[in-house]
Amino acid sequence: MHLILTDAAPIHWAIGGAAIGAITLALLYIGNRRLGVSTGFENICALVVHTPYFTRQSLVSSHSWRLPLLTGLFLGGVLSALLAGGWETTWALGMFDAEIGWGNGGKLLWMFGGGLLIGFGTRLAGGCTSGHGIFGMSNLELPSIISTGCFMAAGIVTTNLIYRVIL
Amino acid sequence: MKTSPLMMLFYLGLGTVFGLVLSRSGAADYNFIQGMFLLEEFQLYGIIGTAVAVTAPGLYLLKRYGKTATGEKLQFERKPGHRGNIYGGFLFGIGWAITGMCPGPILVNIGEGKLYAIAALAGTLVGAGSFGALYPKLQGIFKLPSLQVGTGEG
Repeated sequence: MHLILTDAAPIHWAIGGAAIGAITLALLYIGNRRLGVSTGFENICALVVHTPYFTRQSLVSSHSWRLPLLTGLFLGGVLSALLAGGWETTWALGMFDAEIGWGNGGKLLWMFGGGLLIGFGTRLAGGCTSGHGIFGMSNLELPSIISTGCFMAAGIVTTNLIYRVIL
Repeated sequence: MKTSPLMMLFYLGLGTVFGLVLSRSGAADYNFIQGMFLLEEFQLYGIIGTAVAVTAPGLYLLKRYGKTATGEKLQFERKPGHRGNIYGGFLFGIGWAITGMCPGPILVNIGEGKLYAIAALAGTLVGAGSFGALYPKLQGIFKLPSLQVGTGEG
């Protein structure tokens, strides 16, 4: 399978996985920080919402490392597109275009709805693929192993419902 | 803990490398995520499995060593256990399948120029914001830790 962005094969999974492991360990060894992306959405919310939840010390004190990390993720995407031959905007969505085929407005609604579940779900779960799936599982934390099992199972059921049952 | 400008640059750079890897490995690609959940593509299982296989022994050794590169005491919070781990996990899994993006890749996809990913980010921020606003109510339902502790940083 080819990537939507480059229309070329991805890097080997072993290289990608080893790189993510190295990034996780570098963040801990150099920054003394536990990898986790989803709390970063709370850091962004905290810039505009000032309720007790978003002004708690543990969150506010992490602005100075999570916000640069999240900005980096965005820049990594920009750099990837530039290296692939030039940055341009796109609506291409692979299988979704081929089998569901909604227009741009439909895609925005679809993505907004999915995003609601991601934002609410990851914060209720206390982590996402990085914080639970990679760091938590590597540290053999039971809540992370349970949560990872739940989000993988829900993803398998959902995608199979969409592409094998409904379509 | 204060973060120096140099360290902020480090986090920015590390995030950029992370984003580049997610972009080029398929972890930020709608088709590869659907392929993973349809059990048709090994790529993402290989990535997550290798990441854990590299992180776990490294983490074990770092904890035994007990110090960071600057000689600070190594310290991080373990995730608290609560019902949210299960229900939140289910909700997130559905959202991941719908969008083809987990939290990191949402930002990567926007960087790549995929316009629909902006809507995914908007939804995610509204979702996270609603969660925070409803925390006192949700705390009882899901047996969540106190507000200061939260559900788990990550």
